[in-house]
Amino acid sequence: MSALSAEPIPRDTEHRSRTDARHDLIFRLALRFCALLVLAALLGAALSTLWGGRDVLFKDGLHFLFSSDWNPVENQFGALAPIVGTLVTSLIALILAVPVSFGIALFLTEIAPRWMRGPVGAAIELLAAIPSIIYGMWGLFVFVPFMATYIEPWLSDYFGDTSPSGGAQAVRLVIGTLILLIPTLPMFYGALHRWVHGIALTATAMVLALSLSGALSYVLMFSVLPNLFNGPPLGLGLLTAGIVLAVMILPFISSVMREVFQTVPARLKESSYALGSTTWEVVWDIVLPYTRSAVIGGIFLGLGRALGETMAVTFVLGNSYNLTASLLMPGTSISSSIANEFNEAVGLHRSALIALGFLLFVVTFIVLLIARFMLRQLARKEGR
Amino acid sequence: MNDLAAASAAALTGASAQPKLKVRDVHFYYNGYQALKGINMDIPEKQVTAIIGPSGCGKSTLLRIFNRIYAIYPKLEAKGSIELDGENILDPNYSMNRLRTKVGMVFQKPVPFPMTIFENVAYGIRHHEKLSRADMEIRVEQALRSAALWDEVKDKLKQSALGLSGGQQQRLCIARGIALRPEVLLLDEPTSALDPIATGRIEQLVEELKHEYTIVIVTHNMQQAARVSDRTAFMYMGDLIEFDNTEKIFTKPGKKQTEDYITGRFG
Repeated sequence: MSALSAEPIPRDTEHRSRTDARHDLIFRLALRFCALLVLAALLGAALSTLWGGRDVLFKDGLHFLFSSDWNPVENQFGALAPIVGTLVTSLIALILAVPVSFGIALFLTEIAPRWMRGPVGAAIELLAAIPSIIYGMWGLFVFVPFMATYIEPWLSDYFGDTSPSGGAQAVRLVIGTLILLIPTLPMFYGALHRWVHGIALTATAMVLALSLSGALSYVLMFSVLPNLFNGPPLGLGLLTAGIVLAVMILPFISSVMREVFQTVPARLKESSYALGSTTWEVVWDIVLPYTRSAVIGGIFLGLGRALGETMAVTFVLGNSYNLTASLLMPGTSISSSIANEFNEAVGLHRSALIALGFLLFVVTFIVLLIARFMLRQLARKEGR
Repeated sequence: MNDLAAASAAALTGASAQPKLKVRDVHFYYNGYQALKGINMDIPEKQVTAIIGPSGCGKSTLLRIFNRIYAIYPKLEAKGSIELDGENILDPNYSMNRLRTKVGMVFQKPVPFPMTIFENVAYGIRHHEKLSRADMEIRVEQALRSAALWDEVKDKLKQSALGLSGGQQQRLCIARGIALRPEVLLLDEPTSALDPIATGRIEQLVEELKHEYTIVIVTHNMQQAARVSDRTAFMYMGDLIEFDNTEKIFTKPGKKQTEDYITGRFG
């Protein structure tokens, strides 16, 4: 009996290890194939748009990039207006959506009572599921008239007027200066306290901050803003498109932020609270640096969507190739130009549209590169 | 003669030291569940007080009331009073900011902030004081020296704190706590995530720090309590069973439950 149990059980280990090795190899090759497929698809799409746009690129070269003259009748194609339109609307969308998303995500993870977190979180995700054509329709039928009636007349009256009366000038200058004091005063105060102390510090910081914000306010009020908000309140235009885009990318950015804020270990936050930090300080100094790369990733996910968004933008942008500095004027974007004109494009016109598609690739790629670069800079600052 | 001997023994063990924290009838509730049932104790100044007891006895809960860190979560409630230098820190009007500069805390697992070693220590100071760069460097160095970490990190202050070993990270957390120059230092199982050598260093550090700080340490390791503390509190099921000189608790405990626990019969 005992001799029997001591006898080794015959196992074909040799065979088993050979089949294992083969299965592993097949598995690895299959995975590699999947990964390469993505690369091939990307490269193929980029190259085929470049190839499709070769006619216009050979004919115009760099001129295609820097000319704003787009006239299919005379076979003139310059991509500057669509490029600028794409970048400006996306930038407006980011400027509006990032702070709001940050606020939503923070509220949901740090402040909101537990019963509110689920429903509000779900609502945000539903917002992301609305098709862009619906945003476009809402934009055109609801939001454009709203902008044309209420927001744009106000903007153009208060900021877009190039030759306001003396009283109005003074009021604008003072308001601009006061607003700009909010960041500049602490800045000078912080920078100077190493050398100056007491009342002298307050006085010097005050004088410096006043003069800097006064000068900035002057430039803003009398040369930047009048250009940005100049023009008739059409409703359609870059600003409206930017705002609609902001609403569209808001759910993406805020749900990414919410997810990653939840990953911050409670003990990290507790440690900071234990040093006497306020909720804001915990968020700004601990939560944000801890989740930084994912937060930037989320922002650029939103930006990527804004850059490529087609339908909603096409509805509210106005589709004009006139390049102006004013945000109230209609413009065009790369994707809306393509969507609008692809039907009737032949020959060089068609080639120009495909080349625009290639440019969208390039713009997105550059944006991603910038994101990577920013992350690396931040990481270096933190000593990693 | 006998009295004199008793008095000198008391002075040695610290029974006559000034109480730094006076805990009076403290009750604590989680969502209505009572976790502490009327705790009374005087925590002596510039000594090490250990709190021991089985898991779930409320020892960490008690510690987390001393700096009111529990207050960052909803539905937690403490009743009673805890006097720090004669003021009740459970009074809602007592400033959290002020409390947390006076009472520092080190947590169970080392939690360096995601920033450089220097910034980890400077971080807390910045919230409460405006220092010039030179003064800040002095303060950071002092804190790192007191935490017996300076020699190991002085050449890599600009590197991320996440690259330090577990033991170093925990000493960094202690440095971060004492950089604010608190009066009380709370240690919540500070060595439970560390190896024996790192644990030994932290215990040695506690020994040195008690000359300047009032230290309260929660530990599940009875040998550690016996090694580092002057006074030991034994808690069980939300009650403070016994609180006395460490030597007495571990040699001739007054209560049966304490004896059962320290002899390993339960817990």
